[in-house]
Amino acid sequence: MIKIEQEAWDLMVAHAEKTYPNECCGAMLGMIDGGVKTVRVALPLENAYPGAQRERYELRPEDLLFAQREADKNGMDLIGIFHSHPDCKAYFSKTDLENSCPWYSFVVLSIEKGHFNHANSWLPNLEQTEAAEEELEHPHA
Amino acid sequence: MPKILIPTPLRQFAEKKDAVEVSGATVGEALAALTAAHPDMKKNLFNDEGKLRSFVNVYVNDEDIRFLEKDKTAVTAGDTISIVPSIAGGK
Repeated sequence: MIKIEQEAWDLMVAHAEKTYPNECCGAMLGMIDGGVKTVRVALPLENAYPGAQRERYELRPEDLLFAQREADKNGMDLIGIFHSHPDCKAYFSKTDLENSCPWYSFVVLSIEKGHFNHANSWLPNLEQTEAAEEELEHPHA
Repeated sequence: MPKILIPTPLRQFAEKKDAVEVSGATVGEALAALTAAHPDMKKNLFNDEGKLRSFVNVYVNDEDIRFLEKDKTAVTAGDTISIVPSIAGGK
């Protein structure tokens, strides 16, 4: 299960709405206690995809390294990645899956006509062939 | 000995350590030493053919080994090896 605290959530939604109609992306930092992940900090990161960002996002490894270092510096864990789907539901697409990493939760925010609509969280497997839906709690729910 | 920084989700396989010092003169040797010492980490880094999984990037200090000598990149004491995932997607 993944829970997103208010401040982190507000930043994630604001980043997703601001970057609309392009996809946004970022990292989620927080704590893991047993089976519950709590996201305390959201780090908006640049979408480095060189082509049409309306349908694709890409994170620079250097930015992920930065996120990991920020987590360590603040006594937190790098829990996962968030990104948005403009005018599209928050499913985990084939492209998302084939370019995912099984170590993290993936929160997808659906942004319809510039405004947050709904979100889901996904856990891809090691072979990047399927993703299980993860229970998600966030302030908008 | 070079040091390998362990990403948070993999620390459970490395006795909860955030960094591990390993022997090895190259990145390949260092990663082999890491997975020899912590076998449960191996499948997260390598596929069944023994190749680094497609989502795994490796940096020596701040340089991506794909632009150096890949797993033959030399490492020395004082070097830091970072394991950083490659992540992208799209609707």
